[in-house]
Amino acid sequence: MISKLDLPDIQGNIVKAYGRYGYPRARYVFYQIRDATKGRKFVEKVNPLVTTSVPWSEDSPSLPAVAVNIAFTYQGLKHLDVPEDTLHGFPDEFSMGMKARRDIIGDTGPNHFKHWDKIWRSPDDKEDKYGQNIHILIGINAKEEGPLEAAYQQICGILAAATGGVIQLSGHRGANGDEDLPYQSAIASDSDREHFGYADGISTSYFEGCRENRRYVVGGGKPTGLDPTTPAGWAPLAAGEFVFGHADESGAYPEAPGPPLFSRNGTYMVYRKLHQNVATFREFLKAEGPKFGGVEAFAAKLSGRWRNGAPLATFPAEESADAFVLELDTLLMKSRQGQASAAENARLEKLRLQLTAFDYNDDSNGARCPFSSHTRRNNPRSALQFGVSKPFDTPGALSNRRRILRRGLPYGTSDENSTDDGDHGVIMMIVNADLSRQFEFVQEQWVNYGNDFRLSNDRDPLLGNHGFNENGRGNGRMVIEGDPGAKRPPYFCSGIPTMVETRGGDYFFVPSMTCLRMIAMGIVDPT
Amino acid sequence: MANQMGNAYALTLLCPIRHGVPEQCPEGLAGQLCADCVRYLLQDVMRVSEDSPMARVPNTYLSRFYILDDVPYQGKPAVLEHLKSNYLVFSANFHGDLDTWLTGMWSAIQPEIRDLLQYCFGFDTVHDCASFITWIRKCQVETTFFFDGSTDEPLAVQLKNLYLKQEFSDFVFANQGNSPEAIQANFREFVARTQPGNIDGPTWKPGAYSLDNVVTGLKAREAGGQ
Amino acid sequence: MSNIAGKAYAMNVITPLRWYTAWITKLTFWIAAKRPSTTLGLQTLSLIHYARWVVIRSDQFPRVSEKQPREELKYNYMMFFSNFNGSWDQYVDSFSSAIPAGLNMFWVLNIKYPRSVPMLPFHRYITSNQIWTDHYYNAYPMAASNDVKAAQRVGNGLLGFIDDTKNSSPDDFQRKYNELLLTLQHDVSRMGPNPIVSLSAWAVEKRLRDEHQTAGAQTHG
Repeated sequence: MISKLDLPDIQGNIVKAYGRYGYPRARYVFYQIRDATKGRKFVEKVNPLVTTSVPWSEDSPSLPAVAVNIAFTYQGLKHLDVPEDTLHGFPDEFSMGMKARRDIIGDTGPNHFKHWDKIWRSPDDKEDKYGQNIHILIGINAKEEGPLEAAYQQICGILAAATGGVIQLSGHRGANGDEDLPYQSAIASDSDREHFGYADGISTSYFEGCRENRRYVVGGGKPTGLDPTTPAGWAPLAAGEFVFGHADESGAYPEAPGPPLFSRNGTYMVYRKLHQNVATFREFLKAEGPKFGGVEAFAAKLSGRWRNGAPLATFPAEESADAFVLELDTLLMKSRQGQASAAENARLEKLRLQLTAFDYNDDSNGARCPFSSHTRRNNPRSALQFGVSKPFDTPGALSNRRRILRRGLPYGTSDENSTDDGDHGVIMMIVNADLSRQFEFVQEQWVNYGNDFRLSNDRDPLLGNHGFNENGRGNGRMVIEGDPGAKRPPYFCSGIPTMVETRGGDYFFVPSMTCLRMIAMGIVDPT
Repeated sequence: MANQMGNAYALTLLCPIRHGVPEQCPEGLAGQLCADCVRYLLQDVMRVSEDSPMARVPNTYLSRFYILDDVPYQGKPAVLEHLKSNYLVFSANFHGDLDTWLTGMWSAIQPEIRDLLQYCFGFDTVHDCASFITWIRKCQVETTFFFDGSTDEPLAVQLKNLYLKQEFSDFVFANQGNSPEAIQANFREFVARTQPGNIDGPTWKPGAYSLDNVVTGLKAREAGGQ
Repeated sequence: MSNIAGKAYAMNVITPLRWYTAWITKLTFWIAAKRPSTTLGLQTLSLIHYARWVVIRSDQFPRVSEKQPREELKYNYMMFFSNFNGSWDQYVDSFSSAIPAGLNMFWVLNIKYPRSVPMLPFHRYITSNQIWTDHYYNAYPMAASNDVKAAQRVGNGLLGFIDDTKNSSPDDFQRKYNELLLTLQHDVSRMGPNPIVSLSAWAVEKRLRDEHQTAGAQTHG
């Protein structure tokens, strides 16, 4: 399935994970529209700053200093006078907004919006009615603080010219008890680890026509049934899983609001501020690790990857995982400094492949990578065949249409003394063409439930909303499968606390460049 | 034909409903058609499924009722045609043979069955279990292909096994890391409490929706049990 | 009126078949039943408790009394009943993605059947021919089909284990216990109510339960 993608028409944050290109800093700024005409003018002035998906080479020295993108909630589009007929073409989940979907996606208990940052809450919020105050999201990504601030000031200038027709919303929580910050900052750590200590951003979905480095098809595409440790084992996903106006994995265009030109090359993005209970996580590892075989081994089982990034499916033992990453990092450093020989570069490519070139067919009992682990749940690859030979039309039949693109960055700082209530977590931005079939499905069936993995009601150990037992302890459970070969019995881990909590977010529409111009001009018309 | 797969039975009934307005109808439905009276009874009387009369019919795995008002028209060039009668469609999956199951139904919920089926053609010939079975068999249509994705054990066995699965789950997680002596002693208590070999002992109640009230057959709540 | 009872969804579909195709369809099903490969996909999907297809010839609608008029139909009809786990969308999507050929084989002779891929016409075909359940009973709302099967393994496993370890020393017991756990490691996850897959179904259920509880409280004072 070949997709012809007009990359200059597609916003850059859809195709590119900016972190991968060396943009570790970001600010996410939120606005409310008070006057439609001034709102359109604001959009018109921001549009020339918007970064597109024009291909970049990772090593290119001429990448822009900042990347800017813009997205709108349902209410945002409405307040810009996008016509009712077009608005009605959006599915319920988008028009309701993320707060209204909380029962489906598990934003209950500690994840309930009453605990969210102020900016996401509305005076209209009741148990069954919610306001959607936030209309526009502008994301600014940068390599350095200077250009980041400069771009932000430039946008503030554009805002000032809107003379109250658009206002910037405050209300983000930050460090030092701040409750009212004017934007959300995010920053990747130097070590590329997130706050629980896991190397992140290793694997991401790869779709036809994105023109990203082809190495990312391995593990990022869909399994073909051939050897998954080689490129032949993977093929790109259909672009329509992530971009409107293109064929998706089912061989049809994804449903999108009309007119076609409005939605073409656009998509949905889910913004979620996920707070991480770093102390709880640390204590939990300390308590369980020794019982299991070490803190690192236990952490690996929760995730499906060692904290250094090596996948359990390929590297079941800590020693081999460490040796692998050590060699990989050494060669990577050498290569970046231009000091690697041809043979070393070839070896480096081979090692990089191993980060993502695996499947679960040889691990159909979960002895290496637990069924319940975070990565196996969120990207099962061929695992839902349960080791049966060719029961389905294609090995990824049950997972190819549940893929998402993960964008976003960690926020805040943490160290080995941080408490839970510090400012640290991840700004998760999830891109997909169908909110209920992709993001919401994964949350509802694969994160907060277990039947597809034959695990009854068990939840994702890291991401799941585990609730509390009568003693106030976490109520999550996980089976860490035994290994008959190594004569290791299964380990039944209970009392798993909730380690990640939602602190804000909503559903956004990321228009194409064409659509942005049409919105700004006020000419969208589905007649 | 394929009504049976092992010990699991797939019963499909199309019970033809009388035409027009009945002489007797549920309260508030005066002047309503027979089919709509039946529909109302299904929707209203059996509103909360755990109170379903079907829970009292032995060996019933899953069952459903719907009213077939007419056959669906597919649009041109398909032919538009109509059924002469509405049908109460009943589909059930249960353990065992048909006559035994129907006898169980008649014994357990005769009043509810009469209330519902009195609106059907020919039901006035039903006055006892035998005539009930005869009438039902007249309404039966043969299954062409039955797929059993579950087990075909007696319901009591399925429920006991579910109870054991849940209790053993709690046991396994609670005993992680205990010494062999402790696990063995705890297991003996577990067996005494849950009585795995005893179908009539503690088990799961059919049709229960909540963990708060699913266990039955216990004399008193055990501490730590759920 | 609900198609949902706990973790199970009751789907009812009725579709017309051309008058001369009833026997071919029945033959197709008969062959399918005999070949394990047909049901391999279904078994691996593991979403279904029990499902059935019923082909009714135009002259086979039950007639139970003289007073009942005889049906006069041109088409034969195929009725489909399924008890499955997960949402409607997940179920239909799973079939469409995983075993489209199987679906086509069973429905291909139905009038205006659009084929199972692409999905949207297939979704519309099913929805327009689906009849909502008026009353659905599930003996184990908190058990998916996977749970019922796992429970069978646990029940049988426990009985065997109890027998096997009647006279075991603690160490021998531990050893056999670990073997049991290895066999049952994927069968002992805890069950609970179904996750909420539909806000409207949840709203109705919540309303009925609240009314039920209020009524109960009033009765028992």
